[in-house]
Amino acid sequence: MTRTLVVVGHGPAGHRLVEEVRAGDRSGRWRIVVVAEEPRPAYDRVSLSSYLDGRTAADLDLTTPRMRTDPLVDLRLNTRAVHLDRGSRTVTCADSTALEYDALVLATGSRPFVPPVPGRDLAGCFTYRTIEDLDALRAAVRPGEPGVVVGGGLLGLEAARALRLLGARPHVVEMAPHLMPLQVDEGGGRVLARLVGALGVGVHCGRGLASLHGDPEGRVRAVTLSDGTELPASTVVFSAGVRPRDELAGSAGLERGGRGGFLVDERCRTADERVWAVGECAAVLGRCYGLAAPGYRMAEAVALQLLGSPSAVFPGADMSAKLKVLGVEVAGFGDVHARTEGAVEFVREDRAAGTYGKLVLAPDGRTLLGGVLAGDTAGYAVLRTLLGHELTAPAELLLAGGATL
Amino acid sequence: MRATTATTATATASDSATASDTATAADGTSAVTVIGYGPAAHRLVQRLRHHGHRGPVTVFGAEPQPAYQRAQLTSVLDGTLPAGALTLAPLPAGVEVRTGTRITAVDPRRRLVRAEDGTEHPYGILVLATGSRPVLPQLAGAGRHAPGLRVPHTLRGARPVTKGPVVVVGGGLRGTETAYALGRAGHDVTLVHPGAHPMHRLLDGRAGALVTAALREAGAVAETGRRVVAVEPGKALLDDGRLLAAGTLLLCTGTAPDTALARTARLAVRHGIVVDDRLRTSDPYIYALGDCARPVGRHHGTLESAWDEADALARTLCGADGSPVAARYVVRPRLPALAVLGPPDALHAPGDRDEHVVLSDPARGRYGRLVLREGRVRAGVLVGLDRAVATVGRLYTEDRPLPPDRLALLLGTDKEYTGGSALPDTAVVCHCNNVTRKDLRQAWRQGAHDLPAIAAATRATTGCGTCADAVRRICGTAAAS
Repeated sequence: MTRTLVVVGHGPAGHRLVEEVRAGDRSGRWRIVVVAEEPRPAYDRVSLSSYLDGRTAADLDLTTPRMRTDPLVDLRLNTRAVHLDRGSRTVTCADSTALEYDALVLATGSRPFVPPVPGRDLAGCFTYRTIEDLDALRAAVRPGEPGVVVGGGLLGLEAARALRLLGARPHVVEMAPHLMPLQVDEGGGRVLARLVGALGVGVHCGRGLASLHGDPEGRVRAVTLSDGTELPASTVVFSAGVRPRDELAGSAGLERGGRGGFLVDERCRTADERVWAVGECAAVLGRCYGLAAPGYRMAEAVALQLLGSPSAVFPGADMSAKLKVLGVEVAGFGDVHARTEGAVEFVREDRAAGTYGKLVLAPDGRTLLGGVLAGDTAGYAVLRTLLGHELTAPAELLLAGGATL
Repeated sequence: MRATTATTATATASDSATASDTATAADGTSAVTVIGYGPAAHRLVQRLRHHGHRGPVTVFGAEPQPAYQRAQLTSVLDGTLPAGALTLAPLPAGVEVRTGTRITAVDPRRRLVRAEDGTEHPYGILVLATGSRPVLPQLAGAGRHAPGLRVPHTLRGARPVTKGPVVVVGGGLRGTETAYALGRAGHDVTLVHPGAHPMHRLLDGRAGALVTAALREAGAVAETGRRVVAVEPGKALLDDGRLLAAGTLLLCTGTAPDTALARTARLAVRHGIVVDDRLRTSDPYIYALGDCARPVGRHHGTLESAWDEADALARTLCGADGSPVAARYVVRPRLPALAVLGPPDALHAPGDRDEHVVLSDPARGRYGRLVLREGRVRAGVLVGLDRAVATVGRLYTEDRPLPPDRLALLLGTDKEYTGGSALPDTAVVCHCNNVTRKDLRQAWRQGAHDLPAIAAATRATTGCGTCADAVRRICGTAAAS
C-alpha cells in the first residue's frame, strides 16, 4: 500500500531527503509530495554568487532529469504551506489545496535576519539567499558605486563577491572581531581580511551597523557603523545570519527550540511521531544548524527511518568546511577555537606567502582535534582524516599539504 | 655593512689623533684606566691579562666594595645568598683597584680623569664601564625619603627584606624578577606596573599573562595599568586612589646607561655611549662597554653580552684583531623557563617577509612564539618550554636555521611519526558523507575500482570533493595489496 510523504520546502535538505527516500524505496512504498515556495526546484545556495559569474539557474539546479520525471515525486512549485493540522494530518497551502500525509517532513529552511536598524527598508537594501534576491541585486547595482555587506560570515563574503562581480566596490561589516567567526579563528580571519582587502574589499570587523541614511528619493546613500564610521553605500546587502522558518509550528501546536526552529529529538522527529524536521528549520535537541552539511545528515537519518530503520539518528554536525571565498581559500575543521579542555595550539603563519595554518592538539601535543587553514588549504583533506588520531608527519608538513595518507 | 661602520668611525677618530698615537692604543703596553667596577670591568681586566697585556691597569669603582654580580642582587634581597657570595674573584696581582673612588670628569685633551676629591689621574687608554643608573619616578608625600623605601640596584639597596608587606614599583625585567623572588620567599608582594602586563616591552600579551600567573602562584599580585603616585611611611598610594600597605617599598622603575662621565668628555652619546664595532667611542683613546654603551645592533645588554664585549675589547687593546662583538643574546629573566630572543620590535610588529610560529598551551602555562626569516630566528619569546629555551636559544645565538619540525622543537619531543599508512581503518576519509577507510576498501573489494564507481558505491567525494586525492590513494594501496 502506498503511503504519502509530504515534504514542506525544497531546499538542499528537503531535496536530499527526497533523493534518499527514492534511492532506498525500491518497492515504491512512498508517494512524495513536495511543497516548494520558490518558482524553481532546489538549487545550490552555497555557490550562489557564481550565478553572477556566468552560471545559470539551470547550472545550480540540484535536481536530476530522473527525479523530475519520477512518477512518485510530485513537486509543486510556487506553493506555500500555510497551515498544518496534525489531527487530520493535513497541510493546507496558500492556494487552499489540502494535502493529507502519512508522514510529514518540514524542511522550510530559514530566512535572512535583517537587524532592526533605522533605514533598513530604504530602496537599495537587499537580502542574499535566493536567485530572485540576486536578480534584484543585479538590476539595482550600478558599477563603480560603493556597496556595504552586513555580515562577514561565509554568506557575507559570498555577497561581497557578488557585488564585486557586478562592478560595485564592496565593504564588509562584521560584528565579531574577525571574518568568518564560525569557521576560522582570529589568526585565520586576519589573514583572510588581509587577502580580501588586497582585492579591494573594505573590511570592518568588531563593529555593527547602527543606521542607514537615504537620499530624498528614499534610496540608501550611506550607513553609519556602531563606532561612528560612515561608509557611502548605494547598495546594502544583509547577510548577517538567518532565522529558522518555523511559522507552521504555531497553528500545529508543535514546540519550538529556545532560539526558534521546530524542536526535534536526535532522530529529527517532533513530539508527533509522524512529523519530522530537517535542515536549517530544525532545532535538534534545541540547536539549529545554519550550514548545508548538517542538513544533509538530518535528511539521511530521517530517510532511513521512513525506510524502516527507526533507530537512525542525526550523528551530530561536523562543522568542518573548506571554502574559496573571493578567491581566497580557507578551511576550518574540528575544534577550531581550541575549546577542548587542555588543548594545545600550534600556529604557522608565512607572511610572505600569505598563508596561515593552525593545528589544535590534545594535551599530548600529538592527537589532532582541529585546525584552521587560510590562504592555502592543500593540507585540508589529510588533516581532516587525521581528526582524532595522532599526527602522522611533522605539523608543518601536514599544514602545507606535503603529507599523504 | 659592519665594516663600513667601523671604517667611518676610525676615520673620524683619526681626525684628532696621529697614526703613531693610534698605534700605542693597540700594542698591549699602554696604560689602561677603567672607570667602573662591575662585572664588565672585572671581566675586561681578567681578559687583558689573559691576552697578554703588559701595561699598567687601574680600576676606579664608586661603590665601597669590590666588583660583584649585580644580576644576582635579587638573591640577596630575598635572603637566598649572603651579600659576600656575589663578590667576584680578586683581580690579578699588579692591577690597581681603587674602590670608593668616584670619578667625576674626563679631560680627553689632557688625557686624564678627575676624582671627587679633586685628584687627577692620567691615562693612556680609558675604558668607560660605568654601567647603568636607576631611573626614579616622581613621588609625592614623603617620597624617596620614606622609611622602608629602597632602590635595589646596588648591594646597599638590596640588603635582605625583613619587613612586609612588600610593594615593588615597576614591572620591567628587574621588578618582575624581584616580585617573583620575594613572593617565593614567602613575602606578601604587590607588583605595581603601568603597562598592560609585566615586562610589556619584552613580552607579548600571552607571554605576559603567563608571567602574571607565575607571579600569582609565587604569591605576588600584579597591579597592572597602575602607578604609585605617593609614598607615606608604611604605605603607597596608587593612581586609582587605593592605599597599599608597604613595610618595604622597592623602586624598580628601570635603568638608563650611565653616561654622565661620557658627557663631561663630550663623547657622542645617544641613549648610551656611541661605540663602533670595536667598542671605541668618538674619542680614539676612549672605549666603552657593558650597560653604559650602545654598540651597533645590540638589542639587550645581558651579562653574556658584557662578557663578550670585555673579551673582544681586551683583544683589541692587546693589539689583536678584536673580532666584532656578536649581537645575538638571549634574555633570560629569573622566572621559570622564560626567554626573550631578538629585538622586541620584531616580536611586536613582524615584517611582511617574516614567518611566524606559535605554540600555545595555556593549561600547562606554556607558550612560544618565534618570528623567523629564511628559517632563522629573528625574535621570539618562550615561556615554560624548558627544552626549547635551551635548543632554540642556542640556534638563535649561533644564527643557525631551525629544524623543519618546529612543533617538536618547541615541545622538546623527539617522538617519531608513523606515516599515513598506520592510520586505523575507522579513520573517516570523506567527512561530508562519513565514509571510512574501511568502507572504501570494502567498496574496492566489491568491484568499485575507479573514482566514479567508488562515489556511486559510497558517496565518497560527492560532498565538498576535497577527499578525492585521499580516496584515489587508498584505492591505489588496495590495488597494490
